Amino acid sequence: MASLSSIENPAVGIVANPASGRDVRRLVAKASVFHTTEKCNMVQRALTAMASCGVRSAVMTRDLGGIAAGVVRAMEAHRSQTPNPWPRVLFLDLPIEDSAQDSVRAVEHMLELGVAVVVVLGGDGTHRVIASRCGSVPLVALSTGTNNAFPEIREATIAGLAAGLVAVGAVPRELATVRNKLLRVRMNDEMRDLALVDVCASNDAWTGARALWRAEDLTELFVTTAKADAIGLSAIAGLTAPVERETPRGVRLRLCPAGQGVMTVRAPIAPGLIARVGIAEVSPIYPGKECALCSDRGVLALDGEREIEFGPDDRLSVSLELDGPVTVDIASVMKLAAQRGLFAEAAAAPAPALARSWSREGEGAIAAKPANTSN
Amino acid sequence: MAATLSREDLLRAYRMMKTIREFEERVHTEFATGEIPGFVHLYAGEEASATGICLHLNDNDKIASTHRGHGHCIAKGVDVYGMMAEIYGRATGTCRGKGGSMHIADLDMGMMGANGIVGGGPPLICGAGLAAKFKKNKGVAIAFVGDGGSNQGTTLESLNLATVWNLPCIFVMENNGYAESTASKWSVACKDIVERAHGFGMPGVMVDGHDFFAVYEAAGEAITRARQGGGPTLIECKLNRYFGHFEGDAQTYRGPDEVKKLRETKDCIKSFARRVTSAGMLSQAEMDAIDKTVLANIDDAVAKAKAAPKPSAKDLLTDVYTSY
Repeated sequence: MASLSSIENPAVGIVANPASGRDVRRLVAKASVFHTTEKCNMVQRALTAMASCGVRSAVMTRDLGGIAAGVVRAMEAHRSQTPNPWPRVLFLDLPIEDSAQDSVRAVEHMLELGVAVVVVLGGDGTHRVIASRCGSVPLVALSTGTNNAFPEIREATIAGLAAGLVAVGAVPRELATVRNKLLRVRMNDEMRDLALVDVCASNDAWTGARALWRAEDLTELFVTTAKADAIGLSAIAGLTAPVERETPRGVRLRLCPAGQGVMTVRAPIAPGLIARVGIAEVSPIYPGKECALCSDRGVLALDGEREIEFGPDDRLSVSLELDGPVTVDIASVMKLAAQRGLFAEAAAAPAPALARSWSREGEGAIAAKPANTSN
Repeated sequence: MAATLSREDLLRAYRMMKTIREFEERVHTEFATGEIPGFVHLYAGEEASATGICLHLNDNDKIASTHRGHGHCIAKGVDVYGMMAEIYGRATGTCRGKGGSMHIADLDMGMMGANGIVGGGPPLICGAGLAAKFKKNKGVAIAFVGDGGSNQGTTLESLNLATVWNLPCIFVMENNGYAESTASKWSVACKDIVERAHGFGMPGVMVDGHDFFAVYEAAGEAITRARQGGGPTLIECKLNRYFGHFEGDAQTYRGPDEVKKLRETKDCIKSFARRVTSAGMLSQAEMDAIDKTVLANIDDAVAKAKAAPKPSAKDLLTDVYTSY
C-alpha cells in the first residue's frame, strides 16, 4: 500500500475512473463505449512510458472494475524481467464507494504523498470532480469519457512520456503546463460547484439521466473555452463565437428554440448528434464577474451533466475564474523534448553530429536557438 | 423532460411506488405469522426501477419478471387484491392460488409472470418481441433480470438473439449487489453489467436505480427506440433491496447497519417526494392522501385474502392444460 515511507520520488499518480463513458448518450447519440479493459491497457502503456523517463513510483487508485487488478496481474508477469519495465506501483488503501468521491479522495491522498504529476483517465465529468482538489499539481488529462472537451484524446503511451518528463523535471513547468479557466457556480450565496468547460441551463425539471441532448430545452450557456473543433455543448459557442484555452475570457449565450433569436446554429452537441440551436444573445464574460442566471427554474448542467435542480426561490450565478487546474500540454512537451534531444542516447563511439539545420526550417516559437537557415 | 412528466404522471408514479412499498412491508409482517405458504422475495427499496420503466407501458407491452416479482406486477397494473390472494394461496388469486408469490402472472395486463427460474425471463421476451414485430403493433417486451440472472446462459443467449433479430426488447438488469448471498462484485466478471451490452451489439446505459427520474428518462429513450424498430437496449439499474433474498434470510452477508443507512440516505420514495415538493409540482398533502388510500387498500386486500377459500381438490387438474 502507498505510504510516505514506501514512495520513491519522482512519483506520478494515476486516477482511472472505471465509471466514465456509460451514460444515456450511448443510446440517444452514438457515443463511444470505453471498455474497462481498454482503460487498463491505457494505464499499462502509460506506466511503461513513465518508467522509460525515470519515474520511480506510480501511485494508483484501487477499483472494482478490473483496472487495478489488470495492473497487478501484469506486475506478476514483470517479476522475472530485468530491468522491470515499470516504476514501483503502489495502491492507495482507501475505501471504495463506487462514486465520484473515490476519485476526489484519491487525488487528495496523492497530493499528500507528494506526487509530481497526476494522470487522469476520464471524461469531462471525472476531471471536473478532480479539479477542485488537485491544487497546482499538473494533470495529464486523458480522455475516456463521452465528449472530452477538456481532456485530450491522446495515445496513452505519449501521455505517459509527457507525464514522466514533467515529473522528473526534464522540461521546465512554465513551458510544459497551462493553467485552465473554470466556471464557479454559486447557489443562494454559497459556492455550489464548478465546471471546466461549460455550464448550461435547461428547461428540464429533473436531472434525470444526466446528459443533455434535447436542444429545444436549452436556455443559457456559459463556456470557458469554445473551440470550433470541439464536440459537446461548447460547440454551440465554438461554431459562432470561439474562444481559445489561453484567452482570459469566456462566452455567454442566451439560447432559444431553433428558428428564433438572432441566429440558428447547427452544432455537434454529442457524438453523432448535430442539433439546431437558436441563439438570442452572445456576450463575453470576464474573470471574477458574477453573472446571474436568466431562467428562474430548470436544471443546470455542468460539463454536460445535469447536476443542479433549481426553482424560483433559488438565486444562481456563474463566474469565470482563471485559477483552474494546471494541465500538461502534451504536444508542447514532446516537441521540447525532441528539440532538446531528451530521447537521444549518446553513441558508443564518436560519430558525426546529425545534421539538424534542415530539420529546423520554418520553425516557430519554442526553439531555444534561432532557426539555422543555412543548408 | 419538463413537458413529458405532468402532475398526473407524478401522482401516478408516487402511487405506484407507494403501493409497491406498502404491499411489500405488509407481506413482510404477515409472512412472519406463518400463514403464507411457500416463499416470498420482497422488492422493497427497488420501486423506482419498476415504476420508472413501466410508467411508459400499455397493456400491449409485455414484461417478464423474476422471483422478486411483486413490484413488477404492481407496476404493470396487476390487481393488488388478486396478488395478495395468490400469495396466500387462495382460489381468488390471480392464478387461482396455484402458483403463489413466485408465479403471479396476468397475461391480459401483459405480465408474463414472476419466475422462479433464474434467467427464465429473457428468452420469453424474445418471443414476445418477435410476436410484436410480426403483428406490427409497436409493442415492446421487457425482461427484469437480477445480477445473478445476468450471468445465466439463457440471458446471454437472449441478448445475442435480440440483436441478431433486431427485436423490440429491453433488458433491465436490476443490480442490487447480491445474488442470494453472493456479492455481484465477486460473481459478475465485468464491473458493471452494462459492459456486456457492447459485446452483444446493443447500446447499454447505466442509471441510478434509486432515482425515478433517471430510470424514467433512460427507459423512455430505449422504449421509443424499440417501438421505432431501432432494436434492443440493455439498461442497468444500480439499486438496493431492503429485505433479505427471501423472507427468513438472516442476511449475515450484509454490513451491520447497511439497510438502516440505505433507508435513511438512499430511499427512492423519500427522494422523489422531496424533489417533487421542492419543484412545486406536488404537495405533501396530496401524497399523504395517497398514502392513506394505499394503506387502506392493502389492509382490505389482506383481509379479503385471509377470508377467501383455498383451491379445492377438484381444482387440481383445471388450468393445467390448454386445448387447442
